[in-house]
Amino acid sequence: MDAFDLDVRRHVYFSVVANGRPPTTVETAGAFDLPEPEIAAAYRRLHDAHALVLFPDTTDVWMANPFCFAPTAHSVAAGGRTWTGTCAWDALGIPAALHCDGRIESACACCSEPVALEVTDGELVEGDDLLVHILLPARRWWEDIGFT
Amino acid sequence: MVFLRSEEHLARWLDANGWEPGATLGASKLNDLSRDWWGSRLDVGWRPRPAAESQAILDRLELVGEFWSYG
Repeated sequence: MDAFDLDVRRHVYFSVVANGRPPTTVETAGAFDLPEPEIAAAYRRLHDAHALVLFPDTTDVWMANPFCFAPTAHSVAAGGRTWTGTCAWDALGIPAALHCDGRIESACACCSEPVALEVTDGELVEGDDLLVHILLPARRWWEDIGFT
Repeated sequence: MVFLRSEEHLARWLDANGWEPGATLGASKLNDLSRDWWGSRLDVGWRPRPAAESQAILDRLELVGEFWSYG
């Protein structure tokens, strides 16, 4: 990953934190004062390198992990915003990435009953009776990251 | 990767979907993993993490064996 792509990736992540959503390629092109196709190509390279996840056949950001920009069962209140986590791991990853406390509202995958977890000073202070299940082994996590 | 209320709910969920079991963690363990895995994600100097470093995070938390083999 070259320095330019790292700059683009950093801009995307910092925009997510500042605005609660990822920038479009047009917005990022404006920030870098570059033609949009150059930024779109960078987004695709970042996707291929697993540094971002784009919605299929688009340059719209689906995930800047652990942050997700499509509806899921995992809502995360942290850092003054409400975020979406792609999965259980990413949901807990949001307060970890932001280095702040967080509250996760989710649901049991079996019965859909609401479940809640609270992270304070990095420690889980509510929800430690819950289980997390990971279906796929680590080497297969990126085969279909939406499923993982 | 999903939250479940109990082992009974886990078994029922796997059965209902016809899935083979993978790995089950307590939520506190996943929080420990999340802290180590995602804690540097917003660092200004972030670089892609080599697979060996990801593996080392898993190893440190005693997530070992074929299931947790990252490479």
